[in-house]
Amino acid sequence: MTRDAIKEIVIEIIKDIDEEANTAALAADRPLRDQLDLDSMDFLDIVMELRKRYKLQIPEEDYPQLNTLESCVNYLEPKLRHL
Amino acid sequence: MRDPVVIIGGGMSGLAAAIRLARFELPVLVLERHLRPGGLNSYYYRRGHLLETGLHAMTNYAGPGERNAPLNRLLRQLKLSRQHFITHEQLGSEIAFPSQTLHFGNDIALLTSQIEERFPASRPGFGRLVDFVRAYDPFAIRPWRSARELLATFIPEPLLVEMLLCPLMIYGNSQEDDMDLAQLVIMFQAVFLEGFFRPQGSIRDFLDLLLSHYQKLGGELRLSAEVQALIVRGDEVVGLRLASGEELKAQAVISTVGAPGTMRMLPDCLAGERADYQGRISFMESIYLLPRPALSGVRRDATCIFYSDRERFVYRRPQQAVDLEVGVINFPENFQGLPEGELARIRVTHPANYDLFRQAAGDGPGRGPDYQALKRRCQGQSLAKVGKMVGNFGPKVVYQDTFTPLTIEDFSAKEAGAVYGSPLKVKDGATRYRNLFLAGTDQGFLGIVGAMLSGVTVVNRHVLPDAGRLAD
Repeated sequence: MTRDAIKEIVIEIIKDIDEEANTAALAADRPLRDQLDLDSMDFLDIVMELRKRYKLQIPEEDYPQLNTLESCVNYLEPKLRHL
Repeated sequence: MRDPVVIIGGGMSGLAAAIRLARFELPVLVLERHLRPGGLNSYYYRRGHLLETGLHAMTNYAGPGERNAPLNRLLRQLKLSRQHFITHEQLGSEIAFPSQTLHFGNDIALLTSQIEERFPASRPGFGRLVDFVRAYDPFAIRPWRSARELLATFIPEPLLVEMLLCPLMIYGNSQEDDMDLAQLVIMFQAVFLEGFFRPQGSIRDFLDLLLSHYQKLGGELRLSAEVQALIVRGDEVVGLRLASGEELKAQAVISTVGAPGTMRMLPDCLAGERADYQGRISFMESIYLLPRPALSGVRRDATCIFYSDRERFVYRRPQQAVDLEVGVINFPENFQGLPEGELARIRVTHPANYDLFRQAAGDGPGRGPDYQALKRRCQGQSLAKVGKMVGNFGPKVVYQDTFTPLTIEDFSAKEAGAVYGSPLKVKDGATRYRNLFLAGTDQGFLGIVGAMLSGVTVVNRHVLPDAGRLAD
């Protein structure tokens, strides 16, 4: 899966979690939580959706790596390469 | 497929927990003892009329734009659309004491202006109290602290302290006489800062929405499935035994039947320990149905009237069967924009004494004539009392029904009919078994939104982080 495709997936998951999320103007290098006003409950949903869709196990200690859109892509790229 | 997470109880907290798990395709099974889900917030039919239990009004109103309000966070967590969740806000409610009345609505400005007019010396303190409540985290673990004492530090006029406590205690306090500060904050936010509303339709429509959503997500529900015992091995729950004798395996168990009800299912529970968790606050409630034109002589402007005939508000199990000097009168028709039905409902609630109703009923399965006579007498006194307050509607009632603390105990898994659960709260839902968790009112959350958030929170905190092990 390409980096662009992974980015699209993360954005799609965010839209799925929050019907009002404005993902059009997301800066890739700024924390998602600040830009989208996500609380920790919403954030957990991103992890759970990735698990549900791609059988990815993301341990709690790795959550900080999902901080920005860019760091999400970096973290997920090797894990989704085979898809 | 791994064993499911089993949820004991298909009430609001159990259904919310279940939806949360099913949403992520985790195996989940809800066991509900009755033929119908909902627990305390359910419904039944008499002579073709749908009668609601529990719900007077939902608290925690929030408009669709307030994304971090509890109601909207809850809907998001359950993947229910706020845009499609139609709500009707209250007309307005009041707190009526012998010498003073206060009105409040879903905007704190109304209550603030009422206080400015009637309790001017307390106006600045009330403003500081509101700021304090907004900034306070009620779910942080802290020692018990007296809400009465805290209120007195902000509010110099004792009558106003009593009046503010009246609806907050009646709508959600499990302790007698005083309230934990954290509980006060939860209730103040839910009632005064956010306010009352109804979802469109009846509680049946709301339950149907939750159930169809749950079932579409692949969740399983079993009705008439009463859990008799939890099967444990070491510090782990491995399964459940039903009243039918059937045994089921479980990966984890979330119990929504309260701390004492859950302890009863465990092999090593001490009777004394269970008694510590049993609440003493219960209520009697009567529902009256009357033809809509008959409402002409009855007050139409209020959604709820919380009253106390005593200037010092007494909130405890009464000496007599019911305490008519304290109560709530609820008008389920008095919300904005409701379609007009043929019949109108009025609901009246008073604190009641579980033991006296239990004594009258005896211990057998039937309730017997003494219980029926006590119930009739209390209901008659209540009707006469309320008729004087809001207009005498008694002669026009076409159908009425009354619940006592025993009815609540039977239908809601609240021991001793303690609707607000245990006075000792298990805030994080953890137990001494590593995969057994409590959700519901025994965690300190209250009302329908609170109960559902408690189910969500327990799943988020204890079950989802472990979800890898629960898979497949």
